[in-house]
Amino acid sequence: MTAADTRSRTRTLLPWLALGLVVIVAVVVLVVRSRPDPSPAARAYRLEHQLACPVCEGQAVFDSNSPQAAAIRDDIPKRIAAGQSDGEIRSAYVALYNEKILETPSNSGLNIVVWALPVLALILGVVGIGLAVRRWSRAPRLTATADDEHIVRKARHLEDEA
Amino acid sequence: VTKLRTRWIALAVGVVLVAFGVVLAVQHRSEPSVPRLVQEHGTAPAFTLDGLDGKAISSAAMKDKTYVVNFFNSWCIPCRQEEPALKAFYAEHKGESDFAMVGIIIDDDAATMRTYTEAQGITWPVGVDPHGAASLSFGTTGQPETYVIAPDGVAVCGNLGTSSQAELDLWLNAARNGQECTSS
Repeated sequence: MTAADTRSRTRTLLPWLALGLVVIVAVVVLVVRSRPDPSPAARAYRLEHQLACPVCEGQAVFDSNSPQAAAIRDDIPKRIAAGQSDGEIRSAYVALYNEKILETPSNSGLNIVVWALPVLALILGVVGIGLAVRRWSRAPRLTATADDEHIVRKARHLEDEA
Repeated sequence: VTKLRTRWIALAVGVVLVAFGVVLAVQHRSEPSVPRLVQEHGTAPAFTLDGLDGKAISSAAMKDKTYVVNFFNSWCIPCRQEEPALKAFYAEHKGESDFAMVGIIIDDDAATMRTYTEAQGITWPVGVDPHGAASLSFGTTGQPETYVIAPDGVAVCGNLGTSSQAELDLWLNAARNGQECTSS
């Protein structure tokens, strides 16, 4: 391989390397920034949003003014101070009420349907698009017949006259 | 071939929809009338509250007794409807040495409740639960809610909503004798 070949190859690879670098930096920034704040106040705030008010319809503990939600808001900081993890705190409320207290359904039992359906729909969609693209790419290319060319010539002639 | 394939796809979509409907139907159940703590035969949570009369009310003081815990307040209409049954039930059993009954205020203030209980002639101890800690530990979902606790501390009977005197008698008897609870 000559020096010119190497330079040419490097020039071709450079944009791809730059793109790869940008992607890596973006992923690192996303991962770092999406790491949850571990402070007790931030944890309590998150848990208040992750738990549903046990006596309301469609309201999180954070939003509800029911006595039960208020009691949970009072109780969460005490549990955090006692050293319970977020998972343990969520489990404690599930034990006290039921799984409906979780704003995000668990991924066990029948709740698996809630998680599986979107994935299934995505897979079906991708497969469907793939099949459609395959069919279109296999369709024979249309070629102009003599009549088609005559029509085009006639149209151009009319345009020129106009 | 295309028609056959379309039929198969339609059939598959139909099967998925029916399966989804069945899953939803299975998950949708009518609201229970028995508290979760009772359904699971859980141990009643410990509590210590300030009574409206200034005396402390503690679950520890009722250890080895069969006791009734009633969550209520002054503004709840079903609580008022239940009151005559509670009064009659308490009058019938208050002299029994192995019996106790407490009311726990849910979502109401002490001053209002003091006036209310005096006016209504409620004579069983009533505790103030200012931050809802006791109601949360029982897992209450509203008021009135009643729990009958056996001498071993297990919440054996209870009800979400109003209870009749007959039910209360039945549950007290069941709790004392280690029997299963049924509604009358």
